[in-house]
Amino acid sequence: MSTDATSRPSIAGVDVSRVALYAALLGMVAFYLAPLESGLATAFKTPEGFRTTTPFALPPVGEFTVDAWGTAFDRLGTGLTNSALMAVPATVLSALFGSLAAYGLTNLEWRGQVGVLMLFVAGVFIPYQAVLVPLTQFWSFVDLAGRLPISAVDRYEGLINLSITHVAYGVPICTVLFRSYYATIDDEMLEAARLDGASAATIYRRIVLPLSVPIFAVTLIYQFTQIWNDLLFAIVLVSDPSNQVVTVALNQLQGSFVQQYNLQMAGAFVAALPTLVVYVLFGEQFAKGVAGET
Amino acid sequence: MARLQLDSVQKRFGEGDDSVLAVNDLSVDIADGEFLVLVGPSGCGKSTTLRMVAGLETITDGEVRLNGEVMNERGPAERDIAMVFQSYALYPHMTVRNNMRFGLEESTDLDDETIDDRVESTAELLEITDLLARKPGALSGGQQQRVALGRAIVREPKAFLMDEPLSNLDAKLRSQMRTELQQLQADLETTTVYVTHDQTEAMTMADRVAILDGGELQQVATPLEAYHRPANRFVAGFIGEPSMNFVDCSVAGETLVADDFAYPLDAASDSASDVIGSLDETAGATLGIRPEDVAVVEGDGGDDDSAAAAGDRLAVADEPLPDDVDASHAFAATVGVVEPMGDENVVHLALDDGPELVATMDGLRRVREGRRVTVGLPSNAIHVFDAESGEAVRNRSLETAALDAARV
Amino acid sequence: MSSPSSAAPHRGDSDDAPDEQGGSEPATRTDGGAVVDGADEPAVATGQTKPSWLARVQQSSFLESLPFWGPPGLLVLLFVYGAIAWNFVISLTGWEGLGAPDYSSLSAEMYARLLSDPSFYAAFRNTLVLLVAFTALSLVVGLLVAILLDQQIRFENTVRTIYLLPMSLSFVVTAIFWSWMYNPRIGLVNEVLRSLGLGGLTQAWLSDPQFKLGAIVFALMWQFSGYCMVVYLAGLRAIPDAQYEAARIDGASTIRLYWRVIVPQLRASTMSAAVVLVVFALKAFDFLFVLFGVNPGESADILSVMMYRVAFDRIQWAYGSAVAMVLFAMALGVIGPYLFVQYRRGEL
Repeated sequence: MSTDATSRPSIAGVDVSRVALYAALLGMVAFYLAPLESGLATAFKTPEGFRTTTPFALPPVGEFTVDAWGTAFDRLGTGLTNSALMAVPATVLSALFGSLAAYGLTNLEWRGQVGVLMLFVAGVFIPYQAVLVPLTQFWSFVDLAGRLPISAVDRYEGLINLSITHVAYGVPICTVLFRSYYATIDDEMLEAARLDGASAATIYRRIVLPLSVPIFAVTLIYQFTQIWNDLLFAIVLVSDPSNQVVTVALNQLQGSFVQQYNLQMAGAFVAALPTLVVYVLFGEQFAKGVAGET
Repeated sequence: MARLQLDSVQKRFGEGDDSVLAVNDLSVDIADGEFLVLVGPSGCGKSTTLRMVAGLETITDGEVRLNGEVMNERGPAERDIAMVFQSYALYPHMTVRNNMRFGLEESTDLDDETIDDRVESTAELLEITDLLARKPGALSGGQQQRVALGRAIVREPKAFLMDEPLSNLDAKLRSQMRTELQQLQADLETTTVYVTHDQTEAMTMADRVAILDGGELQQVATPLEAYHRPANRFVAGFIGEPSMNFVDCSVAGETLVADDFAYPLDAASDSASDVIGSLDETAGATLGIRPEDVAVVEGDGGDDDSAAAAGDRLAVADEPLPDDVDASHAFAATVGVVEPMGDENVVHLALDDGPELVATMDGLRRVREGRRVTVGLPSNAIHVFDAESGEAVRNRSLETAALDAARV
Repeated sequence: MSSPSSAAPHRGDSDDAPDEQGGSEPATRTDGGAVVDGADEPAVATGQTKPSWLARVQQSSFLESLPFWGPPGLLVLLFVYGAIAWNFVISLTGWEGLGAPDYSSLSAEMYARLLSDPSFYAAFRNTLVLLVAFTALSLVVGLLVAILLDQQIRFENTVRTIYLLPMSLSFVVTAIFWSWMYNPRIGLVNEVLRSLGLGGLTQAWLSDPQFKLGAIVFALMWQFSGYCMVVYLAGLRAIPDAQYEAARIDGASTIRLYWRVIVPQLRASTMSAAVVLVVFALKAFDFLFVLFGVNPGESADILSVMMYRVAFDRIQWAYGSAVAMVLFAMALGVIGPYLFVQYRRGEL
């Protein structure tokens, strides 16, 4: 962008266009944060405080409370645990599968590679509605709890089904993310490894995988967010209330506390907390994952 | 150590009408311990050939044999060959030590102690012992190149393959490494195939050179053979810097003619009739002469009006031509651009009769632009090529060519 | 196995080599070396010179790559392609209610029903409106924000992090926020309007059929423009500074500069972002479900919600599958050409 400062209009030495720029940026910050700030403020208000103040005003003295949060945690605690139990393995597995698939389709040369890759890429874009009905049929047919008489399976069948589903539908995007990264690996280096006597598996284990740490970070962060935030699969595939994940629980909470926005807001934040924390800590990686979709 | 044979090796990329023939019917027999350089312009197929030997490209036709065993079907890991890449291709996440250990860990059963010993002795040989704990990212280009070499040497393979390993180095470092590489190869006595586009590297390092152009092998010979007795016009023009002068002529009796330029072939000593006989008369012939063989003397054998008129008090009397230049092979010319290189002067000459030639002469001789000179083309130094096929019909005679300091 | 000419050749031999003046054959000169003629060496097994079929397969590393992309590929094959195919078959049955589907008699009955169902047309129309409006709005806002961010501002990373924050939230969470924001009495939107003196513009955003869809589009844009911003920022960064300078020297005003020089070069970014947005809009379910449940009403019902309602609320499985197939076809219509173009451009 132009760095020519001499032609800029200024008033009393202050660059007008820069001021306007920062004003606009600030405006956008307000735009994106307003709902969140208001929500957060509301979550700390008593119902009285909530009724008497404007949404984005901070809780007035005396109307500050953490009651809403307590209720929220009570209602969503199990959901949080369930989401974690389901999301963490699914994230790790889908990332791993993505890495393996991308390696086989990128760093090893064989004919028909691009065609298979396209089939993976196309999988990124399918609307999940197109597989919902078959999925329900599939899982009732598989009937894990019935076939594997292990108490853990019985107790968490819904979560296991959901987790496996997320792994399967996460493979395409993870493959795409890893693929663009693996395409930048120096071919000659891999050839050198071949000449050194390494097999394809050894090359993956000793060279490609160690070099994949940055892209693993990106993929894990991105996938975790996607899986944690999902509602559709969770509603359709998990019927047992004890297996309910936090997004479903939050939806129910909203339904049972209509108009009690302070409770709803607290609930929303509690449910969003893990992804928010992850985002604040690893925003850079998340942004890369988001951009990697292109 | 091994004998490496390429037998009618061919590489075709793609299929059918769109296919590209990168290497066509290449046969070279490389002796145990030999340093063979594959040289040629970009796209001539030298890298493809090297990669076929390495097993990184499939061989469309022909055989590659290492110590008599056919290698075609074997993967790169099974050929006991080590390669040094142009980009060095080091493993960035491993230390230098681990880079060098990798090949031995993956392709041998040696125990850790033996491997470490080998790595350390190779590091000593290449003077990179203090780099062993560093990672490639912390090394300079020259250091990385040594590590790449070390990685190959430590494996004690049957053959080294090197794909333009010096081209990413700056000029000074390159000539230093050239000498080192030569010494190393001589010490290790490992058969080496070295690819480069730089004919200087080829000339200085090779036991023999194999010159390729457009996938076709032009000549396999020792460097001096290729220099003094090129097989065809391509080799003659490729080897040698500045390159050989060429004059395209037609054949008139026993004289080569190009417009006003006429070069009679000396009947007595050159077997001129043989030369003419082996030419395709309708095509014509190309006269070739190396810049260092072009004799240049001051004065053009005519009057000195031009010099006197210019009031040039430094004008000297005409010098005589050297003994081996016959009067019929002397031509008047004007000096064009002069490039003083220090050890020699590269002089561009425009002959009155037409052709433009380049001559090199001793650096201490002072020649000025615009001067009139006489150019001598000794008959024992000329090459004659068939204009159509490019084949060398006559090369310079080495016996009669004295290693004349004044000319070289 | 001896070669016709000298043995170990080394430099300096040129004087010893025979003086080969005069007619040599057109064959390649091999001074000092040997042309290895297979016929001269019966001891060496020449065998086939062309690689065998089996060797080519092995060398082509297809087999050794299989263990890597095979298992994930199998998952994708089953869960994506297999499931869609199964869905299609189900849509051809008349399956509804409890019990198993009847695969024996297949017909396009469900599709016929779709074409005569007014709620389908409403949902279809709304889906298209949502698609176009949401995509266009998100792209424009994303582009503007990206341009702002590209101006070498301080705290760029912090600001960028804030703009992308909504993308990290679940749609359940954002639906809860916006249901409150759009509350006619105490919601932030109407409060802001009132405080700006524009009280007349306040609406019942989520209950008034006129504004429902628009309100949804706006809220979704809030969530997604950060994504567009990231994409456009990368695209902007790829344009060399020199172009801005050259245009300025040519006398272009800022707006013209961007409109005529910069934006056309962002076509690739626009396309890829648009594809993602469109496909998302097609499957956007979570947000509406939390806000409206299975019945958003005729003005805001979109195909993805309709599918859920039909299949899981009314338990008309086959009919739901048919709606899903329509969604799939629409998605295919967008990603098909896109993937094709990407493939042709070699950017795959």
